[in-house]
Amino acid sequence: MEPELAVALPATGALFTADQLVLGLSISPLSRALLLAAAASLALVVTFAPLRAERTVLLRWGLAGIAAMAAIAVAPSLDLVILVTLAIAVLQAAVAGRRPLAARLRAPALAVALLGAGLVFARIDGAPILAKLAAVGLVAGLAAAIGILPYIHEFDPDEVTAASPIAWIAFVGPILALEIVTRTRDLLPSAAAALGAMLIGLGLLNILWGSLASWFSEKGASAWHFSFMADWGLVLCAFGVPLADGQAAALLVMYGILLSRLPLYLWSRQSLRERIQTDRPINLLAAAMLAGSAPFAGFAARVLLLRGATQLYWPLALVVAIGLLLWLPPSLRLGRSLGLPRGRQALGTAIALALSVAIGLYPQPILSLAGL
Amino acid sequence: MTAAAGFAAWAGAAVIVLADGRRGLAAGIGFVALGFTVLAWTDGLWPAGAILLAGGAVSVFELVRTGPREWGLMPPGSTPRLILAVVGGILSLWVGASVTTGPGASLRFASLAVLVLMAGRLLQSQSSVAVLTAAAALALALAGASGLAPNGSGWAPYLVGAVIAAGALLLPAAESRGT
Repeated sequence: MEPELAVALPATGALFTADQLVLGLSISPLSRALLLAAAASLALVVTFAPLRAERTVLLRWGLAGIAAMAAIAVAPSLDLVILVTLAIAVLQAAVAGRRPLAARLRAPALAVALLGAGLVFARIDGAPILAKLAAVGLVAGLAAAIGILPYIHEFDPDEVTAASPIAWIAFVGPILALEIVTRTRDLLPSAAAALGAMLIGLGLLNILWGSLASWFSEKGASAWHFSFMADWGLVLCAFGVPLADGQAAALLVMYGILLSRLPLYLWSRQSLRERIQTDRPINLLAAAMLAGSAPFAGFAARVLLLRGATQLYWPLALVVAIGLLLWLPPSLRLGRSLGLPRGRQALGTAIALALSVAIGLYPQPILSLAGL
Repeated sequence: MTAAAGFAAWAGAAVIVLADGRRGLAAGIGFVALGFTVLAWTDGLWPAGAILLAGGAVSVFELVRTGPREWGLMPPGSTPRLILAVVGGILSLWVGASVTTGPGASLRFASLAVLVLMAGRLLQSQSSVAVLTAAAALALALAGASGLAPNGSGWAPYLVGAVIAAGALLLPAAESRGT
């Protein structure tokens, strides 16, 4: 991490020494790139929100989410990342939602407990297996925080987005995952292979489950929820490939989640409620973007992932390539569920498509911004 | 002293697992805060320990101040919870004192015991107060566990943990309303 920002808190008394008072806050280039993507996603969603949507509510909770993501990104230690995650979980649970508070807080708080246990194991001396147990705790905690297999968050399609699991899986999740994975790698160099294997295994499981569930799910909103899980499967596989191509692929898929899948999901909610499905060219284009076809950003991410996986272990690339085919049927379904966007929403969809094409054709500026 | 503090933290977590009433939960979070405070003090972290104690005290005050004043300890059907509290404690003691080496065995035991028991409580409970109390105890345990860092994590985790513990029980328990 590059120390780009240092904040010295004012002295509050003689109880604290100078070392204890200074908080070195720094943000990595990767986190900075993701924060910018989240801000762009929020701008896109709020500016081109459907007429019936409450823009001020979207903006308020979106800004709160970005503040939380910034706090995670600048936290100087993994302890603070986990504590900030707990703070976000408690605050989100206070948002009035359709599910009971206990159901809303359970998954992210459990994630915090798992992450905490992993961190404790990482910091204690003893048998070599402790490092692997630490990796298990941290990866399990990450999965529970995002809301992917083996701990899928309870989802109510009619719940307001700020209080729903979508806030974790599609908005806060990318930066949280990035920070946990990068800091875990630094913390557990001896368990790097185990960590990578777990991430790839979990990733493949989520690709399979997410895409099949998205395809066969009865409710349209649930299909979108599962499609986020499938994308997260790709991200985890990419994080598990300890090469530059893997990290670049992970970043591009997370850009896709923030700038393509999340806005389209929010814009499709109205047509999902009214059960409108259309087969216009815009729906096919949206489906192609969600499926990661050329020339959209998802395609560049998939090429990078396959290249990295081939360098690491070619049978892995074969399995990932087969998994990628599973994206097509659910993406066609999700594209149709967007309905026929009109007016402001049509413009927003066009901008999301154009952004994805631009990143897909020339991803280098994004990768350079992230220091890759 | 550290062994007693570690035991107090586990006992507090066990009471949170076993209690449904606000007084019982208050006693549990109080013991957890006291345990981690003493562990921080024995490590020479006086201000950090005081911050944790303050956070825990606010949680206890909030639990006692509002709602029905009942203990709700071990209601009918709580045998699985009792087993969880005992087995979680024994496993944490085994890991903290036997599997691992080096100084700080009490802190390792207390941190693992509270994290494991609170994870169990979160999975088991349908009550918003119990879940929020578990989250507050998690915050205190995570803050206390930051003392295991090789070079220390400073007092920031203690401050954040205490703020979360104090704030969690101040929040309105928003239940199913609105869309």
